[in-house]
Amino acid sequence: MKNLIKQVLRVLTYQEPPSREGFILKENYFDKKMADSPGKQPQSQEQGGQDGSAVQGRRRARSLRRAVVGPGNAGDSDTGKVSTILDRNRAAIEKIYGLPVNRDIVIRDYTIGTEPPVKSFLVYIDGMVSRADLNFLMQSLMLEAGEISRDPSASASAVLQRLLPGSQARVLDSFKDIVESVNYGDTAIFIQGSPKALVVETKGWEHRPVEKPRNEQTISGPQESFIENLRANTALLRKIIRSEKLYTEMIGVGKRFRSDVAVMYMVDLADPELVKEVKRRVSSIEVDFITDTGMLEQYIEDSPYSLNPQTHYTERPDRVASYLAEGKVAIILSGSPYALVVPATMYSQLHTGEETYLRWQYGTFLRYTRTFSFYLALLLPGLYLAAVLYHQEMIPTDLLLAIAGNREQVPFPTVVEMLMMEFSFELVREAGLRIPSIIGSTIGIVGALILGQAAVQANLVSPVVVILVAVTGLASFSIPSYSLAFAVRTYRFFYLIMGAVLGFYGITIALFIQIMLTTSLKSFGVPYLSPTGPRTYPGGDVVNRLPIFMQRRRPDYINPQDNIRAPEEPRGWVKSDGEGGGDGRQN
Amino acid sequence: MDGKIKFGMAEAVVLLTMSNMARIFLSFPRALLEMSGPAAWLSSITGMGLAVLQAYLFYHILKPSPGQNIVDIANKSLGNIAGTIFNIIFASFFLAVAALFTRTFSEALIITALPSTPISVLLTGFIMLAVLGSYIGLEAMARSARLTYPFVLSGIALLLLGVSPKWDLQQLFPILGNGPVNVFAMGGLISGAVTEILLAAVIVKSFHGPEMFLKITSRAMLMGFTYLTVLSIVLVITHGWNTAQENTLPFYNLARLIYLGRFFQRTESIFIIIWGFIGMIKVALTLYAAAQTLAGTFRLTDYRPLLWPLALIAYAGSIIPHDMPSALRLESMLIREVAWLPTVALPLVILLVSRIRKRSGPNESG
Repeated sequence: MKNLIKQVLRVLTYQEPPSREGFILKENYFDKKMADSPGKQPQSQEQGGQDGSAVQGRRRARSLRRAVVGPGNAGDSDTGKVSTILDRNRAAIEKIYGLPVNRDIVIRDYTIGTEPPVKSFLVYIDGMVSRADLNFLMQSLMLEAGEISRDPSASASAVLQRLLPGSQARVLDSFKDIVESVNYGDTAIFIQGSPKALVVETKGWEHRPVEKPRNEQTISGPQESFIENLRANTALLRKIIRSEKLYTEMIGVGKRFRSDVAVMYMVDLADPELVKEVKRRVSSIEVDFITDTGMLEQYIEDSPYSLNPQTHYTERPDRVASYLAEGKVAIILSGSPYALVVPATMYSQLHTGEETYLRWQYGTFLRYTRTFSFYLALLLPGLYLAAVLYHQEMIPTDLLLAIAGNREQVPFPTVVEMLMMEFSFELVREAGLRIPSIIGSTIGIVGALILGQAAVQANLVSPVVVILVAVTGLASFSIPSYSLAFAVRTYRFFYLIMGAVLGFYGITIALFIQIMLTTSLKSFGVPYLSPTGPRTYPGGDVVNRLPIFMQRRRPDYINPQDNIRAPEEPRGWVKSDGEGGGDGRQN
Repeated sequence: MDGKIKFGMAEAVVLLTMSNMARIFLSFPRALLEMSGPAAWLSSITGMGLAVLQAYLFYHILKPSPGQNIVDIANKSLGNIAGTIFNIIFASFFLAVAALFTRTFSEALIITALPSTPISVLLTGFIMLAVLGSYIGLEAMARSARLTYPFVLSGIALLLLGVSPKWDLQQLFPILGNGPVNVFAMGGLISGAVTEILLAAVIVKSFHGPEMFLKITSRAMLMGFTYLTVLSIVLVITHGWNTAQENTLPFYNLARLIYLGRFFQRTESIFIIIWGFIGMIKVALTLYAAAQTLAGTFRLTDYRPLLWPLALIAYAGSIIPHDMPSALRLESMLIREVAWLPTVALPLVILLVSRIRKRSGPNESG
């Protein structure tokens, strides 16, 4: 009875709901401390805390640095250097990596099979190293070791010279450098009695193989694209440019998580000032980490508020190689399957390698088609709206009647109709990219139905608008640079609105603004519309693609050290006897 | 500041040419026809000769002082007070040209394409773009002009050839039109008064020396007047001079005549893009010149702070005329009568004073 009354009371009276919140990320100790005493630095904290706030992260990084280089280090207590005592080195490594909590790090104790045996251990990160290389390394050290010097100061060098089979090995004495290498897939070997450690290159993480380009496909020409492995990417370029004049300079980017950036250029072609500027911009970046060249691009471009991309973003090694041969500079980031080429012009972003691989007539035809489609993608919806809303007299009567007849049943104004269709098209495009590939074909069907038949049959839009939007969409796909195509897609909406508001006058306003802004744009000191604005020697490869044997000079705007690409007549076989042909150089 | 910006001869020539040819899209060809009859093209050629002489006059002013523009030279030769007065007259002239072109282009747009749009909207558009263009700077304007010039050229060629079926060469006669006095003296004076030479003398620091000034301005005048001459001929042989002078906007009326089959006709609206663009370049350039002149006069390091107030004045000035006829009357007065003062008379005074000072200088020192 009592229970029953209790139950009834529980139902009838208010009961505070139980807390359902499990985990709350509370303001942490350091934030609170800093808020309490502004200007006062927070107290130090024990390493190994659980939450991941930025402030605590910074503290932890400071602690880590102290562990690596600061006083109190388990290695050499004052300098952060490797100690001759193996146990102290091991303790230092365990502290740096937070063992045993951190399970990726493997420390393997073993004995080098010399006479007498020497105690040693090696450190690597599981998954980052090649198992085969590691096994071969250990086999060499444990089973195939011969006599080595017992001089403690020389033992690391002696092991390096006599025992290590690795292609790249270094002797390091700083924990900071050692940890950096281990983080990048190397294996560090510490030897009892040696004040230095050996770092052997055993990089062997999983990566996809070199595949066909996915976004910059061509019918002719090489069918390789960059992958996420920096060294594979630089090798892909070296495979094409077999020259000792191709320089690769490495710059570390990322204060917290370092990424390697390879700056590649032809030392005898690229303008040294350009190379210097590229290195200056890349090395000056202060950010915690960068994972893709798309991020890097945003840190080094001249005008971040412009819609136009100011670096050339490509996945094709052959394209990069051709630009390097012109005197441009390539920037490749570890972990990114794209390279950046600078300086970039608008014209270079409208080119693909295909025009060069095909005969010049076909290449020129392709260029004209692409130029036309560039203007279509930019202007067509705006021009249509301007003509229909303000300048009907220029539409032939039959066509005007057809448009008017189709629009009779449509309840929306033309501008709404056009915006609706453009937005639907953008929706299909975006959804097509994000949709899981297994149901990818659905998007085509749905898109075609929505955009086409159903919308027309429901009298939501007129067929002319569907056709225009489809043509505009196709035209925008023919722009080879993804970034430039994005810019054109965005600009198109401005033209559309201006055309709807002020007709051709509005289009002229938008054109004036765009031309003004674009002509004032620069990419690494080079005007964006070079070689037409300002006019410089174009090199026979801008909109027209001249016959390949006529392209004797490199583009002038890059200011290459040697602007002669080929002699006056590069086809040696057409020279008559006694004609030297010359190398085309001008004084 | 402007001295740091340099651009090539082709860009400078095209920039000045496009500025000079802005008038052919408005009612200027009609005024020329009214004065000279079928011989308007001869007036245009005479005007070209006068414009080249004007360029030569400015060349003699600029030549002894490389690295200085007309504003600096006026200050140096005439002293601070007189120099400042002269420069303010120059700047006011530029501002008046900017205001009147803004108004006449806007009126022309209302007539041709946007009959229901309030004039203030169009004026605002022109003025805003002029501020943008002159803010971004001369280099961008020159490059934009060079970049769009092929399109402008092919558009005009297409238009002129498009009306070729209606040509009748007999309309050019009598060859001396309304008589030699009207054709060569009056017509020449009407067409020869140009803003661009004075404007080039203001932006001369962006050229590569005074020698380039003469080459650039003479070529620009040659090209600009060639357009005017060809248009005058085409107008006369297409419409006949008597009918042609009744058109307020002759260029627009020519475009209306194009008939290349049933599908390709009445394309005059497309030409709005061409002449609208040229009008924007013209207004932006003259606003820039006004700001640069004032900045030079008052020794300001940057002309940009002056753009907003000057643009506001130009806007206010452009809205003063009651209607298009008033605007055209003002324009004709400014371009045909008053323009000779800042473009010839004052520079002549500067030249004379600077020569006299130069001669008297060694005597004083000796």
